[in-house]
Amino acid sequence: MGLADNVALPHVLVASISVGEHITRTVLGLKLDVDLVWSTAAAMVVTIALGLAVRRRATSGVPGKLQVFWELVVDATQRQVESSIGPRGARIVPIAITLFVFIFVCNLFGVIGLGAKYDVLLPPAADINLPLAMALFVIVLVHVASIRTRGIGGYLKHYVTQPFPKFLFLGNIFINVVEELAKPVTLALRLFGNLLSGGLMLALLAYLVVWKIGPVPVGGILAVVFNPVWKLFDILIGVIQAFIFALLAILYFDVAMSDAH
Amino acid sequence: MPFATSNFLVPNGTLIVELIAFLIVLAVIGKYVLPPLNKAMTARQEQIRSELEAADRAKADADAADAERRRVLDEARHQAREIVANANVTAERATVAAQARAQAEHDRIVHAAEAEVAVAKQAAVDELTARVGQLVLAAAERVVGREIRAEDHRDLIEAAIAAVRAESGSAEDRAAASGASR
Repeated sequence: MGLADNVALPHVLVASISVGEHITRTVLGLKLDVDLVWSTAAAMVVTIALGLAVRRRATSGVPGKLQVFWELVVDATQRQVESSIGPRGARIVPIAITLFVFIFVCNLFGVIGLGAKYDVLLPPAADINLPLAMALFVIVLVHVASIRTRGIGGYLKHYVTQPFPKFLFLGNIFINVVEELAKPVTLALRLFGNLLSGGLMLALLAYLVVWKIGPVPVGGILAVVFNPVWKLFDILIGVIQAFIFALLAILYFDVAMSDAH
Repeated sequence: MPFATSNFLVPNGTLIVELIAFLIVLAVIGKYVLPPLNKAMTARQEQIRSELEAADRAKADADAADAERRRVLDEARHQAREIVANANVTAERATVAAQARAQAEHDRIVHAAEAEVAVAKQAAVDELTARVGQLVLAAAERVVGREIRAEDHRDLIEAAIAAVRAESGSAEDRAAASGASR
């Protein structure tokens, strides 16, 4: 994308619209995206601060706004888990709540982003590492739960015996393995793609600034108008994606912990 | 650029850091945030339930008090009706008694008056009788031209008086008959 090379604009803003470029550093042989680590740490601090704040002020009387938010999340999650998994799913509740709140906080970082090449606090889920880490964590636990529910024999058997009759066991194995592999990938990519595209939209909106008709900064005006509009929409996307991630995690646990196979 | 760094779909070492970050958040929220929050929510639900129960009890009490009030009111009304009915009966009885007493009094007065009238009449008849005797004697003295001794003509006089008396008695009967017809 060399379009911007001949435009005199601050380099940090729109010098080039990049995808997946990070400031990297190698620590202990691991290649780390430093900007991601930094923004993830920030999201972590914010989430934990929100949690500890509500812990300190938790009251059975009239709850404050923060407690109302937390209780809303806790109540909705408990309801969802209770209705799909039942009382056995109680251990899933903290995972689902953490997924939702943490992803929600991460996604809000998109609102303070400029669409710059290196945003100060880029939304951590706009990189594959965080969504994939959470998706793998969830899927590993889902398989553990499945083995715990059915035993190792039952766990292996369900790859072979369904959805088709037994003599088609090769087809069964193929379908089930693909399905199990697809779960973490789709879970991660859905979140990642939404957040990445949100950031890209901000970059493109910022890039509009180069469009002028004569002396009239048409693109600049459009950018100023559409940037907040897009950010409002982005907040909505961030909430929805956090919700979907948590909900799908619950549903995967539901499938793994149900005996109906 | 080498492929591995340019492809944004390939994770790198950051994955481990992100996983650790997520686990830290999960641990803090699961251990320190959710238990007190759940406790608060449960306590609030308990509070709401007990308050609703208290409200139900209060309502039942109020209903009972209302029913009691209604019952007492009904009883009072019933009693009032009874009292009025009794009073009416008493008044009726008193009226009847008063009428009876008045009738008796009236009869007594009438009888007393009748007796008085009879006595007065008797007295008048007696006086008249006496006077008639004297007048007859006086008239006879004048006719005869000498004194007549009453003792000598006692029989005659008494016969005359009896005649008068009989006449006045029939007059009295006539008067009584006309009085009754009035």
